[in-house]
Amino acid sequence: MFERFSKDARDVVTCSVALAERAGAESVTEEHLLLAMLDQEGTRAAFAFAALGMADRRASVETGLAEARRRGGLSRADADALAGLGIDVAEVVSKVEAVHGEGALQRGGKPKRRWAPGHRGFTPSAKDVLEKSLRIAIARGDRHIGGEHLLLALTAMPGVVAEVLADHGATYESVQRAMFGGG
Amino acid sequence: MSEATDLAQRAGDRDPRVGLRAVAALRRLLEQLEAVQVRSARNQGWSWQEIAGELGVSRQAVHKKYGRQ
Repeated sequence: MFERFSKDARDVVTCSVALAERAGAESVTEEHLLLAMLDQEGTRAAFAFAALGMADRRASVETGLAEARRRGGLSRADADALAGLGIDVAEVVSKVEAVHGEGALQRGGKPKRRWAPGHRGFTPSAKDVLEKSLRIAIARGDRHIGGEHLLLALTAMPGVVAEVLADHGATYESVQRAMFGGG
Repeated sequence: MSEATDLAQRAGDRDPRVGLRAVAALRRLLEQLEAVQVRSARNQGWSWQEIAGELGVSRQAVHKKYGRQ
């Protein structure tokens, strides 16, 4: 699949790995993909971010991502679904943090391992984003996967990143309009 | 009016998607809570055997999932 990636899409992947390494994360997530994309200049995705007024709101995006991490990576849709069962996620988070310290839930549900630099893999959901970008490119009849397809894929996969993007006005439809025009 | 709202509400509850999404969200929350508790127990010197006993799973299962910390 990577041989079909355009240069700017490859750059996103490389930068996301570097961001994950710098953050000490054990694997590369779709959050790293998004942040890598926000760092780019002169690409179609960068143009979309600028058109949607998102280019200079990186801090706000990071805050949104951090809030979700504090909820243990649960999206607001997850929290709503749990509220339907009578579970107040905010209450659970505050009880856990009262005992185990602030940010206790954000340290991840997976076992901790020592990761050597250069050995970070993508999480299953980040891989899903890469695959989705391929499907979007094929559906559009585009021969290469570019950053624009990665960005569309990020908006299309339900979860924290798509919610944070939507909070900043970047939905699948708005991004598509900004990058390709029309509907 | 309120009858219609109730009907819509009940129809929503019967939609398998609503229930399944809640279960998936609950599983995500459970995984995070389990990790917090296991980490806390290990920090307090609990053995894998003791942790597994409280969780109601085998020692191997809990060690495989959280070992090598």
